[in-house]
Amino acid sequence: MIRYGPALLSVLVSLGAIAGYLAFLRVPTVRNHPELYLVAFALATVIAAAASWRAARWPNLVALAVSAVLLVLGGYFNFVLARVPATATALKVGEPAPDFTLPDATGAPVSLASFRDRTPVVLVFYRGYW
Amino acid sequence: MLTELGDSGVQILAISPDPNERSQELAVRLRARYRFLADRDLGVTRRYGLVHVDGGHKGQDVPRPTTVVLDRRGIVRWLSLADSIQVRPDPEAVAHAVRELAP
Repeated sequence: MIRYGPALLSVLVSLGAIAGYLAFLRVPTVRNHPELYLVAFALATVIAAAASWRAARWPNLVALAVSAVLLVLGGYFNFVLARVPATATALKVGEPAPDFTLPDATGAPVSLASFRDRTPVVLVFYRGYW
Repeated sequence: MLTELGDSGVQILAISPDPNERSQELAVRLRARYRFLADRDLGVTRRYGLVHVDGGHKGQDVPRPTTVVLDRRGIVRWLSLADSIQVRPDPEAVAHAVRELAP
């Protein structure tokens, strides 16, 4: 068992990173540093690769395959799928936000101008669930 | 969620292409002080220059996640534009921007 300690450690680092990321998604520092799970996958890959280099036995090779696949998939998600391209936004700090009127949850129209001189407003554009 | 804003008197307007019923459900479930506005055709989102073209999971256009703090005169005082769908502004940073506004 000790012989395959590094392979076990490699898998635990990967699984721990996934579990930790998902468990603490609500914590801004975790959520906003998705590269941390990539660092963990890379570390797991290095550990498993070193173990495989010393002894090319199946537990080491399986750990290497698992961590390498996670590293590639995680990297593809983080650097490609999750990217949001820059847009030519009409918003600029120090300039007025364009007015609009949209229906609220009851269907009643709400205009941005109706809050003027009354209260600050936080606009949150979100992707929605479609 | 921006629960950090508490009772600071700020109005949060959450805008997405979701149908109203879904937004209503979300608001009730979260007991949030959000007012959910439905931008069904992304008309306002487009006018704001915040459309992530083909960004949805079915390849449809979706809003680029964005948080904007406006003062009482409707002037943009703080802005966060997402580069990644995984990242959201720290609620504490938004609350700080709101507190910085002149009373």
